[in-house]
Amino acid sequence: MKRIIYSCPYVPAEWIAAHGLQPSRVIPDPAKSASPIGPIEGLCPYVRAFLNEAINDKRAYGVVVTTVCDQMRRGFDVLTRQCNIASFLMNVPRTWQTFAAQNLYLDELGRLSRFLVRVGGNSPTPDALAEVMLEYDAARASILAGRGSISARQYAEAIAALGRNGPDLRANALAGTGPLNEGVPLAIIGGPLTRGDFDIFDIVEQSGGKIVLDATETGERGMCGPFDRRRLHEDPLAELGNAYFGGIQDASRRPNSELYRWLGHELAARAVRGIIFRRYVWCDTWHAELQRLKEWTDLSVLDIDVAGDTDTERRRWQNRIRAFLETLT
Amino acid sequence: MRDIPRQITLRQWDQRYEQMQKAGIAQPSYGGLLSRHIEDGDTRLLKLRYDNSAAALRLWNFLLTEEDRLREARDRGKKIVGTMKDLGTVPVMAYSLDNVVAFYPDGAWWTPCVMELNAGLLSIADSLGIDESFCPVRAMLGAFVTGSRFPIPELLICSVGATCDDFSAIAQRLDGLGYPILWWEIPHRREPEPGEESVKLPGGFSAPRCQVEFVKAELQRVRKALEEFAGQHLSEEKLSAGIRKANQVRRLLAELRRLVFTARLCPMPALEMLIAEMLAIHFCSDRDETIAVLKELLDEVKERIKEGTGLLRDDAARIFWVNPVADLQVMNLLEDCGGRICGTEYMFTHALDEIPENLPAMEALAQMALADPMVGSSADRASRICAEIRSPPRLPTRVGAAGGLCAEAVVISRIPGASHCALEGQVIGEIVQAELDVPVLEIEVPSLTDSIAQALRTCLEALVEAVRERRKK
Repeated sequence: MKRIIYSCPYVPAEWIAAHGLQPSRVIPDPAKSASPIGPIEGLCPYVRAFLNEAINDKRAYGVVVTTVCDQMRRGFDVLTRQCNIASFLMNVPRTWQTFAAQNLYLDELGRLSRFLVRVGGNSPTPDALAEVMLEYDAARASILAGRGSISARQYAEAIAALGRNGPDLRANALAGTGPLNEGVPLAIIGGPLTRGDFDIFDIVEQSGGKIVLDATETGERGMCGPFDRRRLHEDPLAELGNAYFGGIQDASRRPNSELYRWLGHELAARAVRGIIFRRYVWCDTWHAELQRLKEWTDLSVLDIDVAGDTDTERRRWQNRIRAFLETLT
Repeated sequence: MRDIPRQITLRQWDQRYEQMQKAGIAQPSYGGLLSRHIEDGDTRLLKLRYDNSAAALRLWNFLLTEEDRLREARDRGKKIVGTMKDLGTVPVMAYSLDNVVAFYPDGAWWTPCVMELNAGLLSIADSLGIDESFCPVRAMLGAFVTGSRFPIPELLICSVGATCDDFSAIAQRLDGLGYPILWWEIPHRREPEPGEESVKLPGGFSAPRCQVEFVKAELQRVRKALEEFAGQHLSEEKLSAGIRKANQVRRLLAELRRLVFTARLCPMPALEMLIAEMLAIHFCSDRDETIAVLKELLDEVKERIKEGTGLLRDDAARIFWVNPVADLQVMNLLEDCGGRICGTEYMFTHALDEIPENLPAMEALAQMALADPMVGSSADRASRICAEIRSPPRLPTRVGAAGGLCAEAVVISRIPGASHCALEGQVIGEIVQAELDVPVLEIEVPSLTDSIAQALRTCLEALVEAVRERRKK
């Protein structure tokens, strides 16, 4: 099946899959040796890693980039100049409170559809879309149901696997792996993780904590909510747009008050005692939220800034996370 | 009182000002000694060199008295609206109302330069979690918190979408601190797809009709907010009159740029031209006075050209400059190194192009907003830069780019921490080099360049030398 790669949570995998293509949400690896785009002063390491991944991916038929991040938007210019992969830049509005913004998002899904057809997909019928949506919905529900019985890393990897490979109920049916760590409940908040970053869940557990809320972009925060079954059958595309554009809260939204409302609810529901705020150097969108988050919450916040060199940064994370947890226990 | 054109220091300006006084040359109400602004903390002025014309003095005094003007406007009962990020579109709407003054809080990004960090605005931004990894526009946060730089506007309007993340993040921080913002969406401008109706925008870019309609609806939302704010109906007639006034400013600037960039001898230095161009964004809080200031500047330039006088060497390397500099002194530095500005793209060319007067007002404004070079791709920006460099000198068109600028090299000036600067320079540089075969230099200009002045000088001198070498071939 022809593979379409992307990274932004506002790109609905169901829409790509319904076109008969394989959506694959990339978790890039910044440590990869082949890096057409080297380190550039001011360039977010995640953007760089994603661009390198896309340029090097010879099996992908197309790449979808969104305007949610300005550096990614600029990166699209570089991508189109450096490789021949079919590429699509999707406008995702930052404002969200108006019908116009919601309609713009839906219009962009229409435009994405035309792109997908151009790269070999088939325009789906509403029934076909609804069927795919149900599959994804079931897979997400399965992952969410497993949250309490698997480790935080397994949970995060299951979400990543759904994005990368699509719904596979056998793979997504998560089984507990034995007694779970009962560490200090923590949340991790921030943008997307890269491949090596999943070690952070282990580091937290080894230090006496446990991530009970993965509010990174690649984690639970980046998943859309369950579909409304009635609306799904009446107008599946509208429901898809509603679930993604209306359901995923992000720091980039203007205003981003809903992110804090969502966090307030989830942090309380999971009895979180501390927050690891993970951000990329040069990611202004998340960086600017750090101090605000500290002012907003009574919980302790640990700032972990990431420059993209996971190997050398791991030791620093370990020490800081250990010290952070000591203050909480 | 005419004199040989030259660049002079602040102290020399004071002496000259006294002579002008003795000669009975009238000054506007905001006129006076330039050095008095030092008392306000604008210490960078001591290190700049200025054009010695009365027109330039008026320009500087106009710029440096904006805060006083805003406070006076408020005292007179006018309402103040802060128009953020869109660089030129919403101010046209705001100034169409007779009881509203619009200004540009983002302009605080020059405060760390002008006040040489003395205002402490950046320290305040630091304390709010907005550190030096952000663009110098973070000074705006400090300006709001202290309330010392400008009167706090009653209404804040900010465009978001295809804008820099640093500014968007800082504006969100401001909103979170209790300064509510009306956000309006400007989508990334894209090429029309096959079968889509296409609209040719002022300045030459294209966009699909649906994007123009979307932006029109967003601006309609802004219009409604302005009407409620002002307690006045913003009619089509008022908007059209506002557009005609804005075009007066834009036409003056187009003529000024054409004459200055194409004259054999440079008739007005780069620094004054940068300030003049900036007036187009929000008219420095007084639209009529902006027109008067620009007229005087234009008259001066015409006179110098007629007399065959000017500044700089006549073989100065002709440079096209991309992005505004955070440190004004770099404009002087370029000229010291043997260069002169013969074309600019300071991120707001859409505020320089004339607004179509033959279209319904909101349609015209939506087209202008979408013509913003920053809301499209870097390749679009590069194509416009190439077009401006390529086209031969000609009279400014009614709608579209100014005349040809004959630049021999391009400088892309990075703004530290700005989200667009990490990657755009590479794209713009590659396209310009491929299409025009001119040297391209990318430099970074922080708010104060004193510590890197020598390195910058070396880069600029090397560029000028390269241009001169190419002339021999």
